[in-house]
Amino acid sequence: MSKELIRLTDCVMSYDDDIILDHLNLYINDKEFLTLLGPSGCGKTTTLRIIGGFLTPTSGDVFFDGVRINDVPPHKRTVNTVFQKYALFPHLNVFENVAFGLRLGSTETSQVNGKPITRKVKIPESEIRRRVMEMLEVVNLKGFEKRSISALSGGQQQRVAIARALVNQPKVLLLDEPLGALDMRLRKDMQNELKRIQQEMGITFIYVTHDQEEALAMSDTVVVMDGGRIQQIGTPEDIYNEPKNAFVADFIGESNIIDGIMRADGVVEIFNRKFQCLDKGFDKDEPVDVVIRPEDVDIVDEASGQLKGTVTSVTFKGVHYDTIVDFYGFKWLIQTTDFCPAGSHIGIKIDPDGIHVMKKSAYSGMFGDYSSYSEEYDEIGDVDYDPEQEESFREDGHEEE
Amino acid sequence: MKKSKRPLLAIPYVVWMAIFVVAPIIMVVIYAFSTAGGGFTLENFTRMGTYTVIFTRSFRLALIATVVCLLIGYPLSYMMAKEGPRFQRVGMMLIMLPMWVNFLLRTYSWMSILEKNGLLNQFFSAIGLFDLINAVFGTNIQYFHMIGTQGAVVLGMVYNYLPFMILPIYSVIVKLDNSLLEAARDLGASSTAVFRKVIFPLSLPGILSGVTMVFVPSVSTFAISRLLGGGTQMLLGDLIEQQFLGGAYNPHLGSAIALVMMIIVVVCMWIMNHFGEGEEQAVML
Amino acid sequence: MKRIAALALASSLATGLLLTGCSVEHVSSETGAPVSSGSGTEPGSGRVVNVCSWGEYIDTDLIDQFEEKTGIKVNYQTAESNEALYSLLKSGGATFDVIVPSDYMISQLIEENMLAELNYDNIPNFSKIDDRFKNLSYDPENKYTVPYTWGTLGIIYNTAMVEEPITSWSAMFDEQYAGDVLLINNSRDALGIALYYLGYSVNTTDEAQIREAFQLISDAVSAGVYQGKVMDEVFQKMEQGNAAISTYYAGDYLTMLENNPDLAYVVPEEGSNWFVDAMCVLKDAQNKDEAEEWINFMASTEANLANMDYIWYASPNTEALEQYPAYYEETYGEPLDLELYEIMAAPQEVLDRCESYLVLPEATRALYNDLWIELGL
Repeated sequence: MSKELIRLTDCVMSYDDDIILDHLNLYINDKEFLTLLGPSGCGKTTTLRIIGGFLTPTSGDVFFDGVRINDVPPHKRTVNTVFQKYALFPHLNVFENVAFGLRLGSTETSQVNGKPITRKVKIPESEIRRRVMEMLEVVNLKGFEKRSISALSGGQQQRVAIARALVNQPKVLLLDEPLGALDMRLRKDMQNELKRIQQEMGITFIYVTHDQEEALAMSDTVVVMDGGRIQQIGTPEDIYNEPKNAFVADFIGESNIIDGIMRADGVVEIFNRKFQCLDKGFDKDEPVDVVIRPEDVDIVDEASGQLKGTVTSVTFKGVHYDTIVDFYGFKWLIQTTDFCPAGSHIGIKIDPDGIHVMKKSAYSGMFGDYSSYSEEYDEIGDVDYDPEQEESFREDGHEEE
Repeated sequence: MKKSKRPLLAIPYVVWMAIFVVAPIIMVVIYAFSTAGGGFTLENFTRMGTYTVIFTRSFRLALIATVVCLLIGYPLSYMMAKEGPRFQRVGMMLIMLPMWVNFLLRTYSWMSILEKNGLLNQFFSAIGLFDLINAVFGTNIQYFHMIGTQGAVVLGMVYNYLPFMILPIYSVIVKLDNSLLEAARDLGASSTAVFRKVIFPLSLPGILSGVTMVFVPSVSTFAISRLLGGGTQMLLGDLIEQQFLGGAYNPHLGSAIALVMMIIVVVCMWIMNHFGEGEEQAVML
Repeated sequence: MKRIAALALASSLATGLLLTGCSVEHVSSETGAPVSSGSGTEPGSGRVVNVCSWGEYIDTDLIDQFEEKTGIKVNYQTAESNEALYSLLKSGGATFDVIVPSDYMISQLIEENMLAELNYDNIPNFSKIDDRFKNLSYDPENKYTVPYTWGTLGIIYNTAMVEEPITSWSAMFDEQYAGDVLLINNSRDALGIALYYLGYSVNTTDEAQIREAFQLISDAVSAGVYQGKVMDEVFQKMEQGNAAISTYYAGDYLTMLENNPDLAYVVPEEGSNWFVDAMCVLKDAQNKDEAEEWINFMASTEANLANMDYIWYASPNTEALEQYPAYYEETYGEPLDLELYEIMAAPQEVLDRCESYLVLPEATRALYNDLWIELGL
């Protein structure tokens, strides 16, 4: 049974007229691997720093284990951070870096009259030694104790930073895009390592990244943010399969986002064609955003397709072909192992579970169109398509200016 | 293997060092070991014993001046490094401004401040400080005796060399990576602990530079001791000067004294640098 | 690009430093021609003379006059003290033609064979020099020198700060004014004062006597009589009233008097030093003829009058001495204060109780130096 550990209520962060966080409400459970995901400037790092104590919200509250900690400085919180650029102490060797927090003593928090009281208790040398060596083994750096920081590779420095934070047995570990500076292969390895460590030690990880693949791979919970607001919170599968708006749909994986009209529960109409889908709960004839993932589209011959289109470009990506297809002036991305040369006329079929319907939002119309993939820049997908035009397409089966 | 042209660029420096540093030092060494007749002798060094008082006085005063500079300079550098860029620019200019005035002029002006009838004493007299002291302690002083004391000499040294302590320390602290300080706080360090365990050890190179740049000129000064010490505090610089411009022209003895001073200073520097390096790997304070 | 700029800057800095090291203070004529430092006539470019004297020791118009009259370029430089000049000559740091050392330094230079014998046929103005100043002890046959100025050493004191007029050297050792007395900061003069007071010859080589004189000073130092040891700082201290009693030269007293009318000057009853600064030519001088022309010019009555008026040191030229009061009145429109004139040009009775310095043998010089350093310990 997971209990709530951290809660942010109505947090606002603003500098002069810039609003960085806009009434953020978030709770984080104990032992959870939670990722704050979003583009640069969305406020994810700010949120992290507020939890860490490096920033105080302009308004709003931060609670830790039920206690309000807005005014508690970082060195008094049982929270540790792994910094983006590692921030290892250059004048100390590996052992001393990891032991840094231990040498300061352990923090004991107790409550007196509702206010948190902390004090530092000195840790005996032998214990320090034991815990540091243990942690070095956890991060696979046994034998590196006497090395100077400058003699380590990026990955090794990263692991020292992780060890240095974890050795203090914090309740919560904050990670600020820690794998950004590593190469692909090392990054994947470290992702697995971090997940393993988190589960073994049972520590809450709050992870910040802009890499959605990373977020999906590691997290129990993903919080998608943009413009200082939370766009969606959910498990990786939820976020991926059931994005709440066009932003989330586009940020996570590739999506084709088409204007549609909800005709009835389970029936959505796009390009004047009705499709079976699994979504319900919309008003009749409500305009919606329809998300179709590129890999959920099957290419069939023109005659048997639910929609007909023309291939404008094909790119070989190894795992599949990125095929851009023009449907009635709107460009789709289809990922398929079938090769269809540019210019060919194709039909497509989409299963009901490959269609996902979302309510319209402020992000509608901003994403989901793959025009810029194609050579024809002047052909920008017209979101408000004309049904009369569509009629003529239907007859001719090919695009018309 | 790239055949680098870089060594050629070092030639002006090498030439300069050879002419203006290496050659004069060799000349001093030669003079120190010879007599007026030109023969080799150790006589000049045997007399060193008589000047022990002056040696100790010079090094003691230089040490005091260095410590005072450190005590004043470090907090000042630290505070300035924490302020915004505008404050830093203004502050830096104010510190450097006296340097634009000739060294001797600055020292002379301190004379007129510290004199018996100088600015300070006149000011104290005007505000009735002496009357107050006389009334409370039953003394009969008319002025503070400031000029011609060791204190005045130290004051002159500190005044003239303080910027040399501030500059290196400031430039090291201001470049400290802020994320290191955050990391320290994150790991549980209070402000004092952050200073003690991160800022101070990392600012050691600056401190070492500053100490060197204050200690070395302080040991060998003679203008300050003559003007502010009233000629009563003979330092190494005065002693050496006496050998060249005093009653008896004896460049050999002068060179010998200079050589001994140089060696002692180099030894001091070496000890200090060694101490500084050891700090890097040692267990923290 | 940055490297080249840095290199250019560094080399121009180096060259600049080199040049400033070579050049020294000089007073150049108004013609604006480049003044060279150091020796010799540039080939085919006219005659030159290199003079080294003391600071504030010449009416600079005289240099211009000389250059116009003779067409000889004057490179005028100054040194800080006799010892500094000696140091410069010994280390080969300079090449002068004419120097103007003090009496004792001249005898040392003669001993060390560094001066050239003068051709007095080239210096007709020598006849105008008062007989009192010819054939003096430092140059008994007068083969090397022509006197330039002379004066006395005496006590300068602030009448507002002492109770009664001072007449004796005892004032320099008296605890009565402890903390307000300035000792002159060179060994010769300081020990000399003590020797005068004790009644010994100021040129004694008797170690016992010298040590006795030293003891006097040393005891005074321990008793805190002296505020400090000074040379040029004495001006500021006496003028501002920061000290009551000091020892310095007559001409300098007159300068201080302008800024502080409370000051008085006395040549103590035990006797004092009277000094002569004389012009001489270095043995290896490049411009001997020009040097002698310069000396002759400076020995003229007009030059002496102008100099006396400017630097307030007495001239050795008989005519100038006689004519000065009238000259003064003509120039300034008021009569010359004869008391002050007597300070500047001490009458014979005063000179009779004065002694001039001779060069001391090396061993004695070393003794002086060691004792002086002992004071500093």
